[in-house]
Amino acid sequence: MTRGFLPLLGFVIATGLATLGFATSGFRVVTTEGARRLAVEHHPRAVPDAVLVDQDGRRFTFAAYRGKALLVEFIYTNCPTICGILGDDFGRVLATLRQDRGTSGVDLLSISFDPARDGPRALRSYAARFGANAPGWRVAVPATREGLRALLKSFGVVVIPDRFGGFTHNAAIYLLDGQGRLVRILDAGPPATLLAEAAHAVS
Amino acid sequence: MSANAGRADRAGVRDGETAARAVELAYIAVVAIVLLLMMLFGLTMRAAQAQYLDVQPRLFYVLLTMHGAGMVGIAGVAGAVVMWHFVRRHVPVNTTVFLANLVLFLIGAVLILGSGFIGGFAGAWTFLYPLPAHSNGIWSANAAAAYMLGLLVIGVGFLLLHLDVLHGIWRTYGSLANGLGLKQAIGLKPEKTGPPPAVPAATMASIVNVLGIVIGAVVLILSLVNLYVPSFTMSALVAKNLIYFFGHVFINATIYMAVIAVYEILPLYAHHPWKTNRIFYLAWVASTVMVLIVYPHHLLMDFAMPPWALVVGQIISYLSGLPVLLVTAFGALTVVHRSGLRWDTPSGLCFLGVLGWAAGVIPAIADGTIVVNSVMHNTQWVPGHFHTYLLLGTVAMFLGYMTWTAKEVPHETIGTEPAAFWLYVGGGIIFVVAFLAAGSASVPRRYAVHLAPWLTYDRIGSLGALLVVLGVGIMVVQFLVRVPALARLPMTAVAQPLPEAAAE
Amino acid sequence: MLRLAAAAILWFGLWLPPLRSGLESDMALHMTVQIPLLAVVGILIAPEVRRFEPRWLAEADWLGIPGIVLVLFSTSCWMLPVALDSALGDWRMEVAKFVSLPLLVGMPLGLSWQRMPPLGRLFVIANIISKVGALGGLYLAAPIRLCAYYRLDQQAEAGSALLAVATAAIVGAFLASFFGWSWRRPFRDAWKGHRAVATATDASPSLPT
Repeated sequence: MTRGFLPLLGFVIATGLATLGFATSGFRVVTTEGARRLAVEHHPRAVPDAVLVDQDGRRFTFAAYRGKALLVEFIYTNCPTICGILGDDFGRVLATLRQDRGTSGVDLLSISFDPARDGPRALRSYAARFGANAPGWRVAVPATREGLRALLKSFGVVVIPDRFGGFTHNAAIYLLDGQGRLVRILDAGPPATLLAEAAHAVS
Repeated sequence: MSANAGRADRAGVRDGETAARAVELAYIAVVAIVLLLMMLFGLTMRAAQAQYLDVQPRLFYVLLTMHGAGMVGIAGVAGAVVMWHFVRRHVPVNTTVFLANLVLFLIGAVLILGSGFIGGFAGAWTFLYPLPAHSNGIWSANAAAAYMLGLLVIGVGFLLLHLDVLHGIWRTYGSLANGLGLKQAIGLKPEKTGPPPAVPAATMASIVNVLGIVIGAVVLILSLVNLYVPSFTMSALVAKNLIYFFGHVFINATIYMAVIAVYEILPLYAHHPWKTNRIFYLAWVASTVMVLIVYPHHLLMDFAMPPWALVVGQIISYLSGLPVLLVTAFGALTVVHRSGLRWDTPSGLCFLGVLGWAAGVIPAIADGTIVVNSVMHNTQWVPGHFHTYLLLGTVAMFLGYMTWTAKEVPHETIGTEPAAFWLYVGGGIIFVVAFLAAGSASVPRRYAVHLAPWLTYDRIGSLGALLVVLGVGIMVVQFLVRVPALARLPMTAVAQPLPEAAAE
Repeated sequence: MLRLAAAAILWFGLWLPPLRSGLESDMALHMTVQIPLLAVVGILIAPEVRRFEPRWLAEADWLGIPGIVLVLFSTSCWMLPVALDSALGDWRMEVAKFVSLPLLVGMPLGLSWQRMPPLGRLFVIANIISKVGALGGLYLAAPIRLCAYYRLDQQAEAGSALLAVATAAIVGAFLASFFGWSWRRPFRDAWKGHRAVATATDASPSLPT
């Protein structure tokens, strides 16, 4: 063993572990998805006040939901796969909400990231397909490109084209608390779980 | 290089010999103790099946897992010390690396024993995916991880050791093909120029083990990830293929390393050297290839496997062990025949090792046949077959090497040597025959609780196991009491001068 | 000098948009072509840098162990899906990738490799093969998307590509050692400077026995 070997090795290992730990948020996540969920959980973030247009052509912002929990999903209406599952989940949440009036402090919002194709008509037909009615469940599109970009960035949504003219995106359900902060990123799942999280967020 | 350096070199050689000797003795002592302990686990399981002992099924499966992993590991260590001791006479190898392997093995063994006896891991030594992650609460993910980590640590040690041996062979002979005697095998060079018999054996065992360990590491890492991130799955069939490739290669390599004891010790008794001819080299080349492609015979019951792979498995398993076995058995007979050889425990054990290996191949061939396998593979026929060539083959060769080493201390024998030998041989035969007979009567393997009609086999098997433990116990004690004297012994066997490095 | 020029051309070439976006648009190319080539840039400049390497550093890098550990950590970082994503989503991380792969992977590898005993080299090669194979297996089998910027089918392709690399490396290493080919021979010119300096500075890179 030479002089300086152990200090150098120790330095390399310490720096290496620190870097790996930093990159994995303390050895907890290896994927971008895991990283953004963890980040949101520990530091709820404000979302940009972008203007959106819903299925009835009405303009609104997130300020409209103050004091309520809001479940958000990102979709495009031509989506053949995961958006349908998300829509179904939202539909079941809505059904549960109607049955059980006690938890009506929860609203639903589907945001399209495909403004080119998702005009008012497309949004209306998507809403009709899943039984979505404003204001309890709005299906909306950002009014401007900048608004869309800001929303995607703040929610951590990455949209890439797939090979069939559609998109691949990190699908999830986003929970905003009563102050309009993004507090949880959840997997699609049974309404009870989603509503329990939502109830927890407003309390 | 100056004169000073020359003197330092000579002193260095002497120190090197002493160090090598010390590490070898440590190896033999560790193998002897662990071997005996694992045999006691085995005896406990047979006695439990025979209803002599009351062992809870949970503990039984822990014992089964520990016995399997422990025996495979210790057979590897036993093979390693035999290989290293003899191959060191022909190629440069590194004592530090040799020691590192033993230390890593002990660390891995602690992890594995902890995973079983503290964590309750009982997923069998083959840790077949996805069983370790689905324990129904019997063991935790941490216990399964400790087990796999233990295997990984042991694998790292063996990887280092085999790479060092291969590097030494490469430096001395220019390539691994030359170490195997490929040129002599295909007639490009005269037989006489070929390497001594220990070298092809070490080359073959090291090549297949490096490949096996590299692939085993892949499946171990994948299984470890799966334990903690269950969404990372893999194809269970692919995993099984990888695991059996690794497991098959590793356990087979143990006998290909241990057999070096036969090549080196028997000729010392017979006073004439082991003849290496073209057929000998050809056999080792052929077995190298076949050991690598024969593993599908462990998957003959997996209907999802492609049929051609199973057919290859069946055909190659008829042939795979045979070349080396035949040249070894024939060579051993030639050496022994009319040599006036003096039979004692070491020479007897080495010769027995060849016989046990040969005998073990016969039931193995039966099990390697698809139509037989589909009815026999889950019976005790299988432990019967592998105990034949491991207990009466690999272990016999190792014990031959151990008692031969002990013989260097000529002090008073306690007079139990022949008794120990015959207890071990007799007990071993009873033990494996009980397994084989039970297997042909369709007694299933890996059952903690046996039905009444099976008890006779279990009781005879327990008796055999007890005799083996007694015999091996006596040999082990006789070795251990001589260790201090052996360690003090002046070094006589100085490594032969090394040929100039051909490569590098 | 030739090596430096080659390294510079390779680095800038990889940075230029057509090659950069082309290689990064596909996960397999990103992992098996772009990242290794960036490391090669570092390997190419290593012999030139060696001249300026402080003596204490060369001495402290005993048997090349600290250097190889550094390489191990740096490569581990860039194997994380979150790191691949960040390089695509954030130009600062992209710059970090283009700087760190040559300087923290390729260069230490080039410098420390010469100090490693043969056994150490063989061990590192065997480990890299296992690691690449395991990573390939994970990507091939993972049912979820690991990278936000790549599709599931691209991820599986990347897995197959990594498995192919590992298999090729096993077969190559086996054939080379079996028939005694020197892996250096084809690269001898590139290594000539290396070896001359290596023999001058460290005479016996071998483990104590």
